[in-house]
Amino acid sequence: MNKSSGQLSLAGHALLDRRNFLSNSATALGSIALANLLGGDGLLASESDRPVIDPANPYAPRASHFPAKAKNVIVIFCAGAVSQLETWDYKPELIKWDDKPLPGGPAVTFQGPAGNLAKPQYPFRQYGESGKWVSDMIPHLAELTDDIAFVHSLTSKSNTHGPAENFLSTGFVLDGFPSLGSWVTYALGSESQDLPAYVAIPDPRGVPQNGSNNWGPGFLPAAFQGTTLSSKSPVRHLAANGVSADADIAARSLLQKLNAKHIEANPGDGKLAARIASYELAARMQLSVPEINDLSTEPEHILKMYGADQTHNADKAAFAKNCILARRLVEKGVRFVQLFNGAYASGGKLNWDGHNALKEQYDVHAEIMDQPAAALIRDLKQRGLLESTLVVWCTEFGRMPFFQKGAKGRDHNPDGFTCWMTGAGVKPGVSHGVTDELGQKAVENVHPLYHFNATILHLLGLDYERLSFEHNGIQRRLTNVEGRLIREILA
Amino acid sequence: MPSLRHLVAPVAIAIFAANPGSAAEPIDFVRDVRPIFEAHCYECHAGDTQESGLRLDVKSVAMKGGDNHGPDIVPGKSNHSPLVEFITTDDSSHLMPPSGRMSDTEINTLVRWIDEGAVWPDGVDLVTLKDTRDHWSFKPLAVPHGTHSIDSFVIAKHRDLGLEMSPPAERSKWLRRVTFDLTGLPPTYEQVTAFVNDDRIDAYERAVDGLLSSARYGERWGQHWLDVVRYADTHGFEVNTERPNAWPYRDYVIRAFNSDKPYNRFIQEQLTGDLLGEDAATGFLVTASVLLPGQIGKDEPSIRLARQDALDEIVNNISQTFLGLSVGCARCHDHKFDPITAEDYYAMQAFVAGVEYGDRELRTPEAVAARQQAEWAQARIKAIDDELSRYVPLANSGTKRPMVNARQNVDRFASITTDRLRFNILSTNNLEPCIDELEVFNSQGVNVALSASGATVAASGSNTSPDRHELRFAIDGEYGNSRSWMSNEMGKGWLEICFQDPQTIDRVVWGRDRQGKFKDRLTIDYSIEVHGGGEAWINVADSSDRQTFDPANQKIGDFSTDGLTPEESIAAKALITEKRSLEKLVRTAGQQQQVFAGVFRTPDDIRLLNRGDPEQPQDPVAPTIPSAFGDESLPLDSDESQRRQLLADWLVRSDNPLTARVMVNRIWQGHFGGGLVETPSDFGNNGIPPSHPELLDWLAAEFIRSGWSVKQMHRLIVLSDTYRQSSQIRDDFAAIDSDVRYFWRYPSHRLEAEAIRDSMLAVSGKLNLKMYGRGYDLFNQRGGLSGFVPVESYQGDGLRRMIYAHKVRRETEAVFGAFDCPDAGQSTAIRLESTTPIQALNLFNSRFTIDQSAALAQRVIDEVGNDVVKQITRSFQHTLQRNPGVDELSEITPVVRQHGLATLCRVLFNSNEFLFVP
Repeated sequence: MNKSSGQLSLAGHALLDRRNFLSNSATALGSIALANLLGGDGLLASESDRPVIDPANPYAPRASHFPAKAKNVIVIFCAGAVSQLETWDYKPELIKWDDKPLPGGPAVTFQGPAGNLAKPQYPFRQYGESGKWVSDMIPHLAELTDDIAFVHSLTSKSNTHGPAENFLSTGFVLDGFPSLGSWVTYALGSESQDLPAYVAIPDPRGVPQNGSNNWGPGFLPAAFQGTTLSSKSPVRHLAANGVSADADIAARSLLQKLNAKHIEANPGDGKLAARIASYELAARMQLSVPEINDLSTEPEHILKMYGADQTHNADKAAFAKNCILARRLVEKGVRFVQLFNGAYASGGKLNWDGHNALKEQYDVHAEIMDQPAAALIRDLKQRGLLESTLVVWCTEFGRMPFFQKGAKGRDHNPDGFTCWMTGAGVKPGVSHGVTDELGQKAVENVHPLYHFNATILHLLGLDYERLSFEHNGIQRRLTNVEGRLIREILA
Repeated sequence: MPSLRHLVAPVAIAIFAANPGSAAEPIDFVRDVRPIFEAHCYECHAGDTQESGLRLDVKSVAMKGGDNHGPDIVPGKSNHSPLVEFITTDDSSHLMPPSGRMSDTEINTLVRWIDEGAVWPDGVDLVTLKDTRDHWSFKPLAVPHGTHSIDSFVIAKHRDLGLEMSPPAERSKWLRRVTFDLTGLPPTYEQVTAFVNDDRIDAYERAVDGLLSSARYGERWGQHWLDVVRYADTHGFEVNTERPNAWPYRDYVIRAFNSDKPYNRFIQEQLTGDLLGEDAATGFLVTASVLLPGQIGKDEPSIRLARQDALDEIVNNISQTFLGLSVGCARCHDHKFDPITAEDYYAMQAFVAGVEYGDRELRTPEAVAARQQAEWAQARIKAIDDELSRYVPLANSGTKRPMVNARQNVDRFASITTDRLRFNILSTNNLEPCIDELEVFNSQGVNVALSASGATVAASGSNTSPDRHELRFAIDGEYGNSRSWMSNEMGKGWLEICFQDPQTIDRVVWGRDRQGKFKDRLTIDYSIEVHGGGEAWINVADSSDRQTFDPANQKIGDFSTDGLTPEESIAAKALITEKRSLEKLVRTAGQQQQVFAGVFRTPDDIRLLNRGDPEQPQDPVAPTIPSAFGDESLPLDSDESQRRQLLADWLVRSDNPLTARVMVNRIWQGHFGGGLVETPSDFGNNGIPPSHPELLDWLAAEFIRSGWSVKQMHRLIVLSDTYRQSSQIRDDFAAIDSDVRYFWRYPSHRLEAEAIRDSMLAVSGKLNLKMYGRGYDLFNQRGGLSGFVPVESYQGDGLRRMIYAHKVRRETEAVFGAFDCPDAGQSTAIRLESTTPIQALNLFNSRFTIDQSAALAQRVIDEVGNDVVKQITRSFQHTLQRNPGVDELSEITPVVRQHGLATLCRVLFNSNEFLFVP
């Protein structure tokens, strides 16, 4: 609290003062609506331990349920469903079966009739001490496998991109549920008071398949919605167009005076105080957001390491800049960063949805993703940030071991796919869970995505069963009524 | 416990040698088994903690098993009992307890107990199940004898708690409060002044009657209803495409509130409006997000799951909205807290099992007439098109023909008799060419290139996407991208049509997308040849005499009169003029005749689904009201509409204990920011009990007695002393009841997103009061790669009230969305009121605020001229309905002098006083 209120004006300081806040709270936080703002805390306090949110500063850091391994998270979200078979899940058996029909396989999958089995479209080789087999498609990330914990046996509840991205991001296939980042910032606030607590960085090629529902607050307070920001697009409404700086300052100062007089006449109303404080937080954001996105201070070798200098490949350079931005946000204490790789449905041209010409398209996508993402992890590591930052690489589902009929690409496969994590609290160099020998279905240590999300919360010091919110009669959780930890990937 | 789904078969179980006591002595549940359960299982499987739905502390529930499979304990068969599998498995991810294997002795005890028949004596359990039916809201209304009022109930509670009513609010504040509450807009300064000076005895009643008869009332309270039913103008999910005919339901809701439609009738119409002459009302059934056919997998399980999800949304909407019950939990297992079994849940599905998401034709007289007119107009347009294509200049006639366009191109040539025609594509504007239809007309004007009339088609090669791009679509008589042929080569390809019999032809008509949505993959250079016998092919037309393609100048579908004789030109122009007006007629008629309100068909066969899994159907379930409330039921094969009727009849019966209570609570919440029951859509065991149970029941009884009049409820509430209190905080009372659940003051609150926007417009003088009809756009660009690009500056229809915005699901408005505006993904029974710096940035810096500040400043200057004090005073009157104080004037005057009046207006729009209901 002191940290954040230190830079406030005198009036704001008084309003935010912790003792003042608490002593007023009996009266100040009085209304029913506010009880809801506090996550229904006043309603069901005995049943759960929900975060108590200071309305004057919803992003103030809050205690986790138990000591956390990770302070911040970067989620690299690969939209469109990356094939596990061309990346991390090595299936030598599939080479033998190339171009043969899958015995007893499904006649029809998501997009229609199935064709013959198809071998991995890239050669694989072994890396690191763990001897992990990784494809030549992603040589930079491949070198990091000794730091990574892979889960090869994930399953989704939908084979359609929208519901499946909902499921990955919110734990429900339906629209309207809070996203992982919203849950995390609702629980923990942020270490940074000058920047949004939760930043979503869209891919330079466009918004992901499922758009803003991937960073939506659902029924949580709007405070916990992800704010979009990327190297290409600034935060909206940071400044008023066509208003002079002088007029801006005068307006702000006058507003403060009018509000101060108003609260004098309505003493003890915490909601009024909270709104006054929100303008002071906003003023600080106006300064710090442009600063964070100004990469001119990054040295040449860093730009080069990420590939941000590769102007001949504009998409790659822009994604690389997004990766640098992600690191800068985490450096400043932003709690949750969601970094998108891959855009909207486009016949696989702009995201990982390789239905028709998988190899041709993945050559392009991998070039954009591999080096910058690997550089991000290396850079975090060399700065010591990986000890407190969890990096998650995920995708909504995997792809089938056979091609689609008449095409050179793979259909949607929700029954066995790979995501991974590295960094704070993660056991390095492990591969957990197994798909069948053709890589179609998870067969050992099967984990619905609930388990993956539960494990992310756990690393942040949050119990996925205790982190809940009352909505229309149901104690909603990120993992619905499911969830368990994937202990095998915890350090 | 995790699912056993992938485990192949009961695995052979090692029987352990260790054995407590003598083998002859049978295992005793209380002595031997329960202690093991207590030590290892109860932490997760007893009391309220029922992981995977399994509890092992109550016999009746334990023997039923958890959610994920059948019973966990199969008496006499340990090797078929999942429980034994879980405690003995080698798979650490399934082993129970997760902390580590039990001792061999313990395992052996459990195995023996099961093999001996799993004897669990009755009456030994230490806990009893709560009867979930024994719950206040499931009991009949209990109205105390005697004369009562809202205030008498509230004061009675005050006496118990040591609280008192606060003094009445100042008249000006009360009017501001009630005007926001009933209309979502501020009063004018003049209205406030008149009311303050109105000394008639019924001044308050007059003010309320005036507000309730204003059309603004339905726009305000309709929004509350739309929040609950999560109304939107898009389909949701990733494509989130427009649902262009959803708005008649929104209009129906606004009209229903404005006309004080009795609430029982309101419910009936929303379920069975098709039978009651209110088609649009049934939009209620299909307000949810839904996957479009193209988004659902082609495999059968995907199709079944999508249908289940769609039905689930309807059931949830009905039960949450009208009954305040969340029955959705029972889709997978019996409800944990409420008396709703899985069978009850599927019995509810059976009521709506014949409802499909889709557009239905409105059957109002206007709609029927419009439809007939549109049909006539469409026939005439087709005839005009045929006629017009005769005025196209002949190919190779020396006249430069218009450039190709994506919608439709005509190649006319001298009559020639042939059995085959070939369309050679030589280049495109980009990618592989796409042709949505290739039509060939004979001299009688009949298209002979139709598979229906025996023509066949071949191609150089095809990119096939089932149901979108297929070769057969080139001659199927249907237009549009999703019924088109695509070549498999970049920039080239050919189609060859073989007629059933030789034909004398003179015209070819072809296009990329006759629906006008796609302009890519357009054929630029081409030739048309007809078979001349043997190996010979004769060129009849090609692109060489067309104007050079210019992508910047594409006028899709425009007819050019270039190259026609003057007479031909005049005739063609007349036809084009007629066609344009007919097209306009078709468009407007189309907007009046369809409503997205569900399509009714023969009901699906509804079965109980194990764990909610459509791949595990069990016995058929008939439409039946939840068993806790009665036994009204219909046969399995009953009519579709009869089903919805029975459900509606039961919902509105005066002895239904929930319907009236739930609605009066929603009304109360709309006035006080929170309900007597603070969980407005959960009146079940897990909800919060009412703060004033007698008041709630009395209001519910009054509601029914008044003929379910919502406006009567408003009158009772807003004319009460309870509502009239000041909102000032008293420390002593706050210490007793900080949440104001007992109404010792009026709980002030921030305006909602819509009310802020609407109020800014009302004050700036820009509010457009046009009601009803298609919504205005909040986004310039919808979906796709660039996402939703917000409109920055609004004009015209964009200045209407926000309830008339085209509501995009999951994508809230760029400025006001941050004020906890629901995204219509899930039902919003109560709005949160959060405070964030993003709200501050939006309201302080957005173009909308800057525009409205300028508009208000201009309005004030127009009214009072250049006197700064007058300007400031009038700005205060408009925004805050009061005059500025002397100190405020002296503070503000220099700011206005230096930075202009708009700067003050921007400040006022951001001030707490403007944004809070006093």
